[in-house]
Amino acid sequence: MGNGPGEQSEGPSKAKQGQSRAEKRFETSIAYFERAAKVIPGGIYGSKSPGFLVPGHFPYYLSHAKGSRIVDVDGNEFIDYLCGYGSQIVGYGNPAVDEPALAQARKGDLLNQPHPVMVELAERLVGLVDGMDWAVFVKNGTDATTLATSIARADTGKQIIIAAEGAYHGAANWCSTNVFPVFTQAEQRDVRYFPYNDVAALEALFRQHREKIACVILTPYHHPTYKPQQLPTPEFIATVERLCHSEGAYFIMDDIRANFRLSMKGSHSFFGAHPEMITMGKALANGYPLSVLLGTEGLKKTASSFFITGTYWMSAVPMIAAMATLDEMERLGGTERLAQLGRMLKEGLESLGREAGFSARISGPLAIPYLTFDEDPDLFLNQRFCAAMADRGVFMHPHHNWFISLAHTEEDIAQTLEAARGAFAELRD
Amino acid sequence: MKTAILQLSKEERAILARLKAWLALQLAAEAFRRDAALREVCPAGGIALKLAIRGVGAGMQLVVKNGIARVYSVGWPQLVLFFPGSASAIRVLSGSKGTAVPLPLRPGAFKALGFFRKASSRATELLRGAETPEDVRARLLLAATLYGLEVVAGDSYLARRMQIIPDGVVAVRAGEIEYFVEKRGNAIHVIEAQRHPDAVLSFADYRSAIDVLSGKRQAVVALGSGEVRIEGLLPLVQGLFAVLDRLSWYLGVAL
Repeated sequence: MGNGPGEQSEGPSKAKQGQSRAEKRFETSIAYFERAAKVIPGGIYGSKSPGFLVPGHFPYYLSHAKGSRIVDVDGNEFIDYLCGYGSQIVGYGNPAVDEPALAQARKGDLLNQPHPVMVELAERLVGLVDGMDWAVFVKNGTDATTLATSIARADTGKQIIIAAEGAYHGAANWCSTNVFPVFTQAEQRDVRYFPYNDVAALEALFRQHREKIACVILTPYHHPTYKPQQLPTPEFIATVERLCHSEGAYFIMDDIRANFRLSMKGSHSFFGAHPEMITMGKALANGYPLSVLLGTEGLKKTASSFFITGTYWMSAVPMIAAMATLDEMERLGGTERLAQLGRMLKEGLESLGREAGFSARISGPLAIPYLTFDEDPDLFLNQRFCAAMADRGVFMHPHHNWFISLAHTEEDIAQTLEAARGAFAELRD
Repeated sequence: MKTAILQLSKEERAILARLKAWLALQLAAEAFRRDAALREVCPAGGIALKLAIRGVGAGMQLVVKNGIARVYSVGWPQLVLFFPGSASAIRVLSGSKGTAVPLPLRPGAFKALGFFRKASSRATELLRGAETPEDVRARLLLAATLYGLEVVAGDSYLARRMQIIPDGVVAVRAGEIEYFVEKRGNAIHVIEAQRHPDAVLSFADYRSAIDVLSGKRQAVVALGSGEVRIEGLLPLVQGLFAVLDRLSWYLGVAL
């Protein structure tokens, strides 16, 4: 074990000199964070940064979790609706997944050659996900989306990638928000954006860049950070497919976030789309590091010609976990159960919001909800509501969509709604 | 990596020169507002002094009239302090040696210049002085930061970044101090008070503002420990942090 969290700090921080109730609640988290800031850029980087939540109301460091509950380093417990940013679908520490995974870990995880489970998982995914003929396993969503767009470019011999404004496709330079000139003039130069669901804008891009477009990459529905989620219109998907077909460009569906939460056949199936490549990840292995790029037969040859490798990409444990996760999802009721729990949460929150005098609205699919207030596009109310929920032991992210898992129960939702009644009242008063 | 003036591109030199001039005038105005002794030595009829830098667009002038100090980009001054190039402006306005040509245009020209020198010197003392009241120091640091953003926002380095930062108004608060900054398109301006800002950036107290703005305490740590809070439209505030990083880069250029 290392030192206790406060032992390397420069002396008492301001937070310690005049601690509020909230600061005392997260004293250990804050102490770790102050240590982290000295040795880790930003302390906690990226989407897990404290500034992305509401400091003072949320923990920065978690120690353990079980089922639908997470526990922070100060011992505070929360009903969790972030689910490891979507990676938990059958619950934290689910023995049906962890036991076979840990058994394989004891036998060997990262070997010189792949474990046979790689073949079994590829066969299973190809059989399960509509329209897909092959699978390449990687670790993160960024690996999968970058590989997909690269294959599309190589196959078409064209450069331009089209994506929706505000969509997240990973943290690589071609798609990230790191818009430094050195990247905008290189990796980001050939990426074009249009407003999601805006058919006219998409058609204009295709006209403008005729014979230069390699692919359109879209999430199955739009889940921009800080904004309500948008489902695709039927006209939009049909237009994407028509334009890609006429241009000879590929349609890539980035299903990393939703994964199997909408349909066991893939979210494209849920929305009636027919992409040539699909990326999946997050809940694929219930938190074990694994993502996959799936593709159609026509792209298999090009994919085969790529040198695809990563030290950890073929490790066995996450693939064992993925097989077990799929089994467990089916056993626990799969997407129907997720939607049932999501509906209970959506209807309850919207009703409580109305009772308190707010236009609180849940957007997105039932299993991946996000609450916004129509009267406050700047999200002050989101932040206050989610802070009030966190104070009551419910972890709901103010700026990122939430996730329902199969470990959530009706009792969890009921407890959440009771907390929400108090949170809405606090907002109103 | 620290950059020297000679390593800057022509655009960067122009921006840094404009930044130095803009901050010198804004801080002189702020020092006038905060320091009674400085107001005592201001010429009775007020002053109007313009800083003009060759190749750096319109001049900027400090006007003190009827006990009120303001900085404008237009007007007919008593004196123009002319810099023959960006490098000389950067050096002179940083307190080093360089060429500056005073061009008197109206009576009281050299009294205006004398007052500007005193005001600039006093602003520096107030910024750095350990005995400066915390509220005054915090206000000067905030003014330097926020007015600095106005100039740096036009840097082509930030052009793409500015496109993706949402438009809106941020209220910046520390104790009794409150500034409002508006980001609109590719421009940032310090504006009059607004009733409904889109975001709020608040420091727990003057000391927190001083520590963060002077670089003594990392903003990220202050945010984590609750000394700095951001509320509302986060991408707007976070976007401005990126502009702030660029401002720090400019202010770190070696002479």
